[in-house]
Amino acid sequence: MRGVSKSFFGVAANQGVDLVLQAGEVHALLGENGAGKSTLCSILAGLYRQDSGEVLIDGQPSRFRSPQDALAAGVGMVYQHYRLVSGFTVAENMMLGHPEMPFSISSRSLRESARSVMDRFGIHVDPGSYVDDLSVGEQQRVEILKLLNRGVRVLVLDEPTAVLSPGEVDALFTAIRQLAAEGRAIVFVSHKLYEVTAVSDRVTVLRDGARVACRPTKELDQRTLARLMVDRDLGSAAATIGAAAGEGSQEPARNQRGAGGASPRMESPRTDIPVLEVRDLVVRDERDHQAVTDASLRVYPGEVVGVAGVAGNGQRQLADAIAGLLPAERGEILLRGNEVTRASVRERVKQGCAYVPEDRLETGVAPGLTLEENLALRSYWQSPVARGPFVSLRAMARRAEEEVARFDIRGGRPGLPIRILSGGNLQRAILAREISADPAVLIAACPTRGLDVGAIDGVHRLLREERGAGVGVLLISEDLEELLALTDRIIVLYEGRIVGEMPTAAADRERLGLLMAGVEDAA
Amino acid sequence: MSATAEAPPAAPERRRWSRGNGITVEPRVRAPLALQALVSAGSVLGALLVAAALLAASGNAPLSVYESMVDSSFGTPLAFSQTLIQATPLILTSLAAAVAYRMRIWTIGADGQFLIGAVAASGIALKLGADAPALVVIVASLAAGALGGAAWAAIAGAGRGYLRTNEVISTLMLNFIALGFVSYLIFGSGSFWRDPTSATQPLGKPIATNAQLPGLFEFADIGILLAVGVAVLAWAALRWTRWAFELRVVGSAPRAARYAGIDVPRKILSVMCASGALAGVAGAIVVCNVTEALDPRGLDPGLGYGYTGIVVAALARLSVVGIVPVAILVAALLSAGPALELTGVPNAVVVVLQGLILLLVAAGQFFLVYRVRRV
Repeated sequence: MRGVSKSFFGVAANQGVDLVLQAGEVHALLGENGAGKSTLCSILAGLYRQDSGEVLIDGQPSRFRSPQDALAAGVGMVYQHYRLVSGFTVAENMMLGHPEMPFSISSRSLRESARSVMDRFGIHVDPGSYVDDLSVGEQQRVEILKLLNRGVRVLVLDEPTAVLSPGEVDALFTAIRQLAAEGRAIVFVSHKLYEVTAVSDRVTVLRDGARVACRPTKELDQRTLARLMVDRDLGSAAATIGAAAGEGSQEPARNQRGAGGASPRMESPRTDIPVLEVRDLVVRDERDHQAVTDASLRVYPGEVVGVAGVAGNGQRQLADAIAGLLPAERGEILLRGNEVTRASVRERVKQGCAYVPEDRLETGVAPGLTLEENLALRSYWQSPVARGPFVSLRAMARRAEEEVARFDIRGGRPGLPIRILSGGNLQRAILAREISADPAVLIAACPTRGLDVGAIDGVHRLLREERGAGVGVLLISEDLEELLALTDRIIVLYEGRIVGEMPTAAADRERLGLLMAGVEDAA
Repeated sequence: MSATAEAPPAAPERRRWSRGNGITVEPRVRAPLALQALVSAGSVLGALLVAAALLAASGNAPLSVYESMVDSSFGTPLAFSQTLIQATPLILTSLAAAVAYRMRIWTIGADGQFLIGAVAASGIALKLGADAPALVVIVASLAAGALGGAAWAAIAGAGRGYLRTNEVISTLMLNFIALGFVSYLIFGSGSFWRDPTSATQPLGKPIATNAQLPGLFEFADIGILLAVGVAVLAWAALRWTRWAFELRVVGSAPRAARYAGIDVPRKILSVMCASGALAGVAGAIVVCNVTEALDPRGLDPGLGYGYTGIVVAALARLSVVGIVPVAILVAALLSAGPALELTGVPNAVVVVLQGLILLLVAAGQFFLVYRVRRV
């Protein structure tokens, strides 16, 4: 791939990216969330078309108009969300869409040809079972087999380990190495450093849609990789990389902006009661994965505690469990010293728990309801909106009027669904509702994701105001800049565990990056 | 997880489809009332025009057919009371569908709930006998109908709420079970509901006239007023109660409902019970006033009040205010059928006519949901 650029709605996802794949190599593609890894892979696999730049296969410029074109040229991709047909068997899924499939075939010969493909590649799944009954790891194997059966020479795996158990990861790595040894090129997308060093031959690092490095893996240690991935202060010039790698291991560069808006009152251990305390919390998510393991944290009045981590490391489940949306399997949750581990959502609201969920449009609001109704969503069961079994539309409207004025929520009109609001106004509405309940603790999960600069500023101002008013804020974010600028303390979550905690004044991007990527705390 | 972060920004809410011919179609946020009326009238008119062509092609004079249609559903007090008698259960079953559909619970079980409601109501009426005061019998049988329908709906409601079973399948199956049960009571057993005096042909035990609602005029009874009253109550409840607020939240976004502290499975159960109660009352009214005996034949004619109620609710766009006129219109269409056959229009044409009108009215709703513009 040469000089590939792609933007969505004016936002550049890839800018002039080069990617060279050689037969027989495992090529890791490393980068933060939003660095453009998935976009680049999707262009390679024919799902998106680049705005500029070219894709060359065996030196020949190719213009893929669909994933079918890419497959015909020998490029196949396993997406993060598998594309298997549920209700079909493994064999049926493997053979589906194969150009040499006869019009009619018995299920036995289908299973036999599936089994022969499996034997050829040494990857096995029971061909007769239904894909819905398989584990995620097995489903992934079916996806890979499906592509191998189409004769791919370039296999793109988009974050293949994100949903796998450690044992499944090992099996996948063995398979990857074997497939590469047979002369295929494997693109391995990840943001977990140890996986990159464990499996890849070369690594390309993307940051903000541009390539910042492409080196053989053994020339880079995890610390350098982490820095390449997250540190914007390090120029993209390849020349600085070697030097940075040398000094990085002894003397981590201090981040200038680290202290941000934080006040230095963190030193002495506090004696007052935390507004939120979590002890040894274990949470299982909706799919019965253990998403949070033995997490303990405290949030005191008037401080902002940040939760850093790559998306999908248990942040949402931690927040949901504190707010009462997910049950805690073990451990304790205390609001203002009162135990609420088994309490209902409403009980927690009464105890002063405000929550701005990550999923704004389906959880934070009921999109089909009006602004007035949504502003009452978390308090309609009590006065003044509730009147016995009824709701007072007038009280709802009055409250909405007040909050629209106070929080400057624009674009809503009475009687129209709230989904017509822009992202920034929608988030302001959610914050307005949560803040006007006079909470003791405010949990804000990715409150600025996808917002424009002005809206982000507004959210930050509100969070600072709340902190100033003595509210304890738990700010979950993937944006290190945001965390460094707003928080007093930062906790790092990795695979559901708290792997590090530090005062923001003592935090720097490199150390956070390492912790977020699963490298043991070197400090 | 990170897919959300790396995926392109979601397409803007107001999607447009350009057809490449200078016309775009875009969703409306809300259709103005005048437009709603215009579209409804326009699509009925359109249906009549298309149907006229069809009638002419089949050798009938469209105008005279339409005339006799109007005559046979509204023309005489007798015809009009027939229409109202048909409209009464239809209003209730449409409300049953609309209440559940507003929460996106796609029940098609009103038919079964209607039948079980009829069983319960006739059971109470028969038990109380001819000597009990009319008011007691009426109230008791309506209440029994509501309870019976609610209990039957609760099976599917609990399944959907707590076990995540598919309500479309479960309610459909429960309809067949209810139908089989009613047949068993009359044809397959010497049950309490069966008339022991009729030895030659199995019949339901006649229900005494003290179970009948007071008359309104001609053959119509106050059932229609009752149904309209229930509709008004439902309208008010859907607007002003916390129960309905929660229903709207669950219907719009179940995850937001959990965030609002709503017990979603319990809500599903309670809405299904309300829906079942409405359908059950319809069954009670029909069994006590129209068939005057529990009898699978004739109790639930045609497609069945439950299924027709779904059509009415859809045509009224789940609006409670809309359901009343639409139900009366559909009842008129249904009651015009037999009369038309008497005037020599073949049954097949009558059915096609009815279907055509419903189809075009449904198609017209496109213009309420989308705006078509030249660009």
